[in-house]
Amino acid sequence: MIKSYKLSRTISDIVIYVVLGGLGLLWVSPLVWLVLHSFRKEGGVSVPYVFPKEYTLDNYLDLFTKTEVFDYPRWFLNTFVVAVFACIISTLSVLMVSYAFSRLRFKSRKTFINIGMVLGMFPGFMTMIALYYLLKAMNLTQTLPALVICYSSGAGLGFAISKGFFDTIPRALDEAATIDGATRNEIFWKIILPMSKPIIVYTVLTSFIGPWCDFILVKIIMGDKRDNFTVAMGLRKMTEKEYKQNYFKQFLAGSVLVAIPITVLFMKMQNYYVEGVTAGGVKG
Amino acid sequence: MNKTKRICAIAIAAMLAVTSFAGCGSGDTGSTGGTTGGSTGGETTASTTGGGTTVTGDGGDPLYGEGANGTINLKVWGPDAAQEVLKGQCKKFSENMKAYGDVQIEVIPQGEADSAALVLNDATVAADVFGFACDNLNKLVRTGCLLEVTGAEKDAVIADNSEGSVKAATVTDKDTGEDKIYGYPETGDNSYILVYNKDYVSEDQAKTLEGTLEACKAANKKFVIEAGNGYYSCMFMFTGGLKIDGYEEDGETQKFTEYDEAKVVKTMMAFQDLFIKYKDNLLVGEITKVVDGFKSDTVAAGIDGSWNFSHAKETLGDKAGFAVLPTINVDGTDTPIINMFGYKLLGVNSSTKYPNTSIELAKFLAGEECQAERAEKLNWGPSNKAVAESDVVKNDQALSAILAQSANSVAQISIADSFWTPVATLGNKVSDTANPMDEAACSCMHRIAQSNYR
Repeated sequence: MIKSYKLSRTISDIVIYVVLGGLGLLWVSPLVWLVLHSFRKEGGVSVPYVFPKEYTLDNYLDLFTKTEVFDYPRWFLNTFVVAVFACIISTLSVLMVSYAFSRLRFKSRKTFINIGMVLGMFPGFMTMIALYYLLKAMNLTQTLPALVICYSSGAGLGFAISKGFFDTIPRALDEAATIDGATRNEIFWKIILPMSKPIIVYTVLTSFIGPWCDFILVKIIMGDKRDNFTVAMGLRKMTEKEYKQNYFKQFLAGSVLVAIPITVLFMKMQNYYVEGVTAGGVKG
Repeated sequence: MNKTKRICAIAIAAMLAVTSFAGCGSGDTGSTGGTTGGSTGGETTASTTGGGTTVTGDGGDPLYGEGANGTINLKVWGPDAAQEVLKGQCKKFSENMKAYGDVQIEVIPQGEADSAALVLNDATVAADVFGFACDNLNKLVRTGCLLEVTGAEKDAVIADNSEGSVKAATVTDKDTGEDKIYGYPETGDNSYILVYNKDYVSEDQAKTLEGTLEACKAANKKFVIEAGNGYYSCMFMFTGGLKIDGYEEDGETQKFTEYDEAKVVKTMMAFQDLFIKYKDNLLVGEITKVVDGFKSDTVAAGIDGSWNFSHAKETLGDKAGFAVLPTINVDGTDTPIINMFGYKLLGVNSSTKYPNTSIELAKFLAGEECQAERAEKLNWGPSNKAVAESDVVKNDQALSAILAQSANSVAQISIADSFWTPVATLGNKVSDTANPMDEAACSCMHRIAQSNYR
């Protein structure tokens, strides 16, 4: 009996692991291809086999040395700066809005929440042309601050998730703090935020990744100013018809490098994901 | 407390109101600036250039006094590959114009494929003179972004350039029926032809599709065709006699004229039969696979675009062969394959502050001297008739082949957007050797593609 149980357990385990392993391979294969071929020495856009015959670092070196046509280091720096500022501003605004909606009770709070939700449902690029002309009126087109403004100013509308998180933090904590003489502002910074690390990490990550992936807005705002492109826009440019044959391998290398800052940030912050600290905040 | 709140609220409301007005204001001025700039700019230059050409002929100022009020700053867009040459040409122009004014030209890399979109997005920050692909002409004209070419310039453009390129720069006025020219033809080579490796395919074999495929089979190499893309697969229909003549009622979308459906279907079946016969040597995939295949020595021939010729030459050296698209045997007759052909034009932005200088610059850049230099240094096929007859072009197999192909082609001026996807599907079916269509299916597919047009 025990034996057959063990046997059936082993068999089902094998089946499950084979299926999961297969799915995992399938999922990871494009990334593996990307990394492998970013080191490929021979061929142009594509080669009729999976594993490159010769490997080289030239594709990466070219990205940083041959900058006359495509100034990748510059784009990388642009994106990094934009991402950092957009990340700081939008994280703060999301958390503040969420705190206000979660903790404060004021007239038409519900209405504002609803308006926020409805506005958040419109895709951002719908207002792109209007945005462009607004920025032009402020003389900001073709500049990096314009991108920071665009990426961070609407961020407050994404309050839903962090508001939900704040709602789970017991109000008793706020009340205790109030009795001790804390203001609303102090409660936010000193009580709520230290207990909300997972949601802060989540907000930081999502708002940091945005500028690395978007190219529609950059295309509209930057126009012909190639020096102010971000990596996403620049990489797209490399795959255009007239450049593809020459730059495809550099494009692959560039795509691999984009993953680095995001991965580093994630690694640094992932510890906090696990540290849910709300438990034990309130005694009795 | 209440008071502060109220003041805050009023301040915020005021800010919002001001910004929104600012937005409207700039939007309005932007658009009116654009349109009036377009029409009046067009008219004034039309009259000045019209009446002024004689003045220029007498040694007058070709810039019409624009140089009198300080430096003339112009912006020019050209593709990356042409930057060096373009900068040199612009410098030369500034020197030529020294007597009439200080012309400073900034050359900015911007490919022709994207330039029209940028101009349409905001013409006021776009280049004064820019290159664009001719299929964007109608959009640019409709939005008033281009200055019309008039007077003596118009006559010169018509006289100097190939018929196809002039046609590509022409828009017919819907109301008056008058042909108006809005661009200066810059190249006459935006298309695709047969590119092959001379080691495997002989010049004679490259004359027929059957011969080319047979050669590929003998060498055990592939033949590349991007049949899943409407830009290339349209040749299956065009070869069968589908023609484009004139425009739809809107006056700008190219119209497909009547044709013999049975013949089109027969031609497509001929393509399919050939593909099936040589299915082991057929590689249906992206056009970049031609040069990639040359590099890995797996491809003997393929249909490749002019923008990749230099890569093919780099890879194969003297072994690189170029020929007009081969013939295909349909019902016993060798029928030449007809393809789609585009041109690059130089346009003058109607929002430019210096219309006369810009026109002069565009004229210069599209002129014989500059086209000859580009043909020599960049391998760009000229639209200028004199350059096309020059030794540089005649001795270059690729350039002479692509220029010869233009005789057997359909000009891509303003094909409806709905054209591409169905034709691509059709191309996929024709080249799907595993599931061949019979004539009825082919005719049905073809009708779907046809009825989807517009």
